[in-house]
Amino acid sequence: MDAPPAAVQRPGWLGRARSRLPLVLLTAGLLVFTALVIIPFVWMILLSVRSTGEILNNPYGWPQPIRWQNYVRLFFDPGIRFYRYYYNSLFVTFFALCLNALLATLAGYGFGRPRYHFRFRGWLFALLLFGLLLPPQIMYIPQFTMMARYHLLNSRWSLVLLYAALGLPVSTYLMATYFSQLPSEMEDAARIDGCSEFRMFWQIMLPLARPALATVLLVNSLSFWNELLLSVTMVTNPELRTLPAAMFNFIGENAADYSMGATSLVASMLPLLILYLVLSERFIEGMTAGALKG
Amino acid sequence: MFLGPALAFFGFFTVYPLLSSFYYAFHTIGMAGGKLTATYVGLANFKALLDDPIFFLAVRNSLIWGVVGPVSEMVTAAGLAFIVYYRVPLYRFYRVAWFTPILVSGVIIGIVFRWIFNYDWGLVNVSLRAIGLGQLALNWLGRADTPLGVVILVHFWATFGFTFVLLLAGLSAIPGELEEAAQIDGASRWQVIRHVLLPLLRPTIVTALILSFIGKMNAFNVVWVLTNGGPLHFSETVATYVQKRAFNWNTLDLGYPSAIAVVWFGVVVIGIGLISRRLRSRIEY
Repeated sequence: MDAPPAAVQRPGWLGRARSRLPLVLLTAGLLVFTALVIIPFVWMILLSVRSTGEILNNPYGWPQPIRWQNYVRLFFDPGIRFYRYYYNSLFVTFFALCLNALLATLAGYGFGRPRYHFRFRGWLFALLLFGLLLPPQIMYIPQFTMMARYHLLNSRWSLVLLYAALGLPVSTYLMATYFSQLPSEMEDAARIDGCSEFRMFWQIMLPLARPALATVLLVNSLSFWNELLLSVTMVTNPELRTLPAAMFNFIGENAADYSMGATSLVASMLPLLILYLVLSERFIEGMTAGALKG
Repeated sequence: MFLGPALAFFGFFTVYPLLSSFYYAFHTIGMAGGKLTATYVGLANFKALLDDPIFFLAVRNSLIWGVVGPVSEMVTAAGLAFIVYYRVPLYRFYRVAWFTPILVSGVIIGIVFRWIFNYDWGLVNVSLRAIGLGQLALNWLGRADTPLGVVILVHFWATFGFTFVLLLAGLSAIPGELEEAAQIDGASRWQVIRHVLLPLLRPTIVTALILSFIGKMNAFNVVWVLTNGGPLHFSETVATYVQKRAFNWNTLDLGYPSAIAVVWFGVVVIGIGLISRRLRSRIEY
């Protein structure tokens, strides 16, 4: 979980190599590899500022001219109105994050603090972690009938509830490990001062757990924002689609409009990409922390 | 007290649907106006499964993927992790760059790579023609033999960065003294990797393999958008087939897809068990 990938005192390639040639070759190879990894992004962004005619006739020059107006059209063209899906995705992601964080923080506290040992704690925790292994296919058909029964199909709230449940194992696990590492002296002091259980949680322990909470929010925002299977299953009303479902349908219905298609891809990817470029270390650490030890 | 809400929530939205799937698997489930009708059919769904050629094709594809995917990812990621571990120039940049595809929704990946493998103007074919290998420019997503390979490759692109970062984190957690001691004893870098770092890294490797395997088995978005299982089910996976039987073919029966999911769940659990058993047992020496 430490931020820098290699400790400082370890020998670098430069330390030992007799000549620099191997290093130069290695770096060249790695750069080519990295270029292959990144090219799809660059290509996508270039497509998004071309017209469809240009994509079909001359897709590999520098875009002439650069058509930023594609983005304006994407959002406000009366036939596309992409901002609706942005709103839906933001709505679902935001409320699912809140609900998930609330539940996971409480449960993580209960599981993490040694004071709350009880008989089936280990079993319950294992059951929760078992949720990490479950394929979504084994749950989503009953989840569908469940939502149908409560008349929540074609409602954003169905996705809020299911996403919150989807992220619960990881979030609880992250919160529990973090809470279990906090020292217990402060708890003891607070208890002697007559602090109630709930105030202790809310005013003392929760503020200490802020880094873990940030990780939970980050990791989940990624999976909630990108989820497709539940989204296309629970919501069929075009007005209520989230971004992934909307893109999928947009491409399906306007298969030949490559230009708008590419614009929609870039537009929906952008918030996460910017967040990542700013917080890349946190992202990488958070996702690694959730997986290791598991 | 603190656990209550989360456990109730988890029970209601995860455990209960899980158990329901097992119940559904033995029934024909119809939906009419929000009302559920369940008719008990015993093992009929499972018998039908044995006569379903598409199911077997999907299983075959998923299993090929479940072996080729994690292994290729592990080999690449381990190689890269060791290189970056020794701090080649630009290592921070590589780490951030290789991880980036993880952020991208499967829908976006599917669409972009559908274009990249487009026969006429896709990046792959245009590049092949440009370097004079025009005869290799195939209709990648429209043939019988290539779509599954494309799916595997695309998913590799999307997730190898995660495996890489996991391994790197595992490597960084190994205390440096062990490596120093080996070096003082005159071990070459290759020997250090082989006899010191790799054995210590094994728990991380097992975790990463399992996660990668689960990822391939559950992958839905990329396949659904990239090939939709086609052409003619040549790249069908179990995940996409369940979705088709449940919601796309208007078969009006949710029991049969549940049976597929239940069988598949068993296969995945066995797969995970095999990976951890095989590799754990080799740790002792």
